[in-house]
Amino acid sequence: MKRKWLKGMALTLMALAVAFGSVSSAGAASKLSGRIVVNGSSALLPLTLQAANEFKKLNPKVRISASAAGSITGPQSVRKGIADIGAVDWDATKDVPGFKKFDGQVAHKVAVIPFAAVINSGVGVNNLTTAQLQGIFSGKITNWKDVGGSDADIIVVNRAFGSGTRVNFQMKALAGKDFMTKGSNYKEVKSSGDMKTAIETTPNAIGYIDLVYVTSKMKAVKINNVAATEANVINGSYKVWGYGYYMTKGQPTGATKAFIEYVQSKKFQTGSLKKLKFIPISAMK
Amino acid sequence: MIDIPTSGKASASSELGRSLEASSGRIFSRKARLSFYNRTFRIVCIASAVFVCVILFSILFLMGRTGVLTFETVSVKDFFFSTEWVPENDQYGAFIFIFGTFALTLLTMVISVPLSVIIAVFLSEMTPGWLKTALRPILDLLVGIPSVVYGFLGLTVLIPMLRTVTGTNMGDGILAAAIVLTIMVLPTISRITDDSIVAVPRKYRDASYALGSTRFQTIVKVVLPAARSGIMYAVILGMARAIGETMAVVMVIGNTPQLADALFKPTSVLTSNIVMQIANVPFDSTWNYALYLMGFILLIISLLMIVIVRLLQGRGVKA
Repeated sequence: MKRKWLKGMALTLMALAVAFGSVSSAGAASKLSGRIVVNGSSALLPLTLQAANEFKKLNPKVRISASAAGSITGPQSVRKGIADIGAVDWDATKDVPGFKKFDGQVAHKVAVIPFAAVINSGVGVNNLTTAQLQGIFSGKITNWKDVGGSDADIIVVNRAFGSGTRVNFQMKALAGKDFMTKGSNYKEVKSSGDMKTAIETTPNAIGYIDLVYVTSKMKAVKINNVAATEANVINGSYKVWGYGYYMTKGQPTGATKAFIEYVQSKKFQTGSLKKLKFIPISAMK
Repeated sequence: MIDIPTSGKASASSELGRSLEASSGRIFSRKARLSFYNRTFRIVCIASAVFVCVILFSILFLMGRTGVLTFETVSVKDFFFSTEWVPENDQYGAFIFIFGTFALTLLTMVISVPLSVIIAVFLSEMTPGWLKTALRPILDLLVGIPSVVYGFLGLTVLIPMLRTVTGTNMGDGILAAAIVLTIMVLPTISRITDDSIVAVPRKYRDASYALGSTRFQTIVKVVLPAARSGIMYAVILGMARAIGETMAVVMVIGNTPQLADALFKPTSVLTSNIVMQIANVPFDSTWNYALYLMGFILLIISLLMIVIVRLLQGRGVKA
């Protein structure tokens, strides 16, 4: 008796699923519908949320849910099938320091994110070369006087392993050289917000952060005599920046494809994206 | 409706008996319905209790099962006794974090227990009534402040203060974490201690005073020993809270995997290391399993503490 009832229920459900499936695929030509799950980088989350809001206004039948737990969770969620789009701060189809590439995924550039090496505003240093940055972050240079500052110990603040900001900074500013891992003047923080607080409140501290987070209470140093500004990123003289990517399992289809295209569209790139202080991908050659 | 006549208790119960027997015109008699309700309620209660136990044990089981996978690639000796935590190079020594957790908890208790007991004695023995009614709710409110607020205050107020007072470069380390945790567990420990001191019968104090003791002698030699089991209970509850605390600790401890052999040295404990890394770890990796195992160890420590609380409650001075 119970068996029969269950079977009937299952059949009804299947029928319903088939019906809805056909409806959505038939309706795709005229009006998009479906559900998009975005997970991954917290740096890209504001951009994703803004884009989702605008996209939902244009396509009311599409539901988008976005969350962020860190760059590496993006492509991982896509591989596990938890998310349709994995937001990540590096090209996860290639090997980067510490992380293997993700096979079978396609990377879509969605934004340009500039990063800055930042120091506490009390430090009297304005410019650092790549070699000096490498020395400081690997723990070989431990005093500010060695790089032209006053006689004070350098306090190095680093992001935890797996942070997209950390991967980009290591690749672009340190030319791939390793970070130090311990020491009495070394600490790690969990997020960009914690980095900001740590640099602002710790005398003689150095760290790195997304350019948009730089406040008046900290100083973005010039790297190899080039100031960290959006203009210098666009004209190609400031090298410490990275693309933000949306990863998908294979080529995207349906609503997911339309959403990524919307984020890459000129309207969004030069409008809301710029307002959020990202740089449009079209600005880079 | 049960109609209780005013004539007396005996007739009331006989009336109730008759009303149970009497059919009220429904399909089931009142007696049958009542016993049905009773039995259903009993089953619901038992089911809820079993449900909680099932949840607890499945959490334990899942954490343990995932954690044990660590030992496929890491030896037990390495995990518990190595101080090399470099997951990027497949080195998973958790000794630093286990040691750090115990060191931090111990330091917290060393600072917070004497303070809390003094606060509790003041509250229960010396404060006038109007001040008691003002102070107790304030302490209760302190328990409810989110730990991230304590952590942020530690990061922005306490650490710069420690830096200027001691002249160290950073200020991050187990001392900063212990001070933040002390502030967090003070209300818990002092309120429970307060309650257990209040529960000490008045006759003990009277007897002590009658023998000519001073107030200090009475409190130290009579009241506190009599309330000992309650105080131990408070201390262990405070310890359990200190061990499991994450958000506040992660903001002030520095998060560097090195042994906490100095008060001002950035270090890491079980909770802070888990929360720093869990988001950035590949799903099915030894690294992930090792973090689960560390969580499992934390769970085991808290369970042990609960067992100790039960044992202490069993003993102790009974009034």
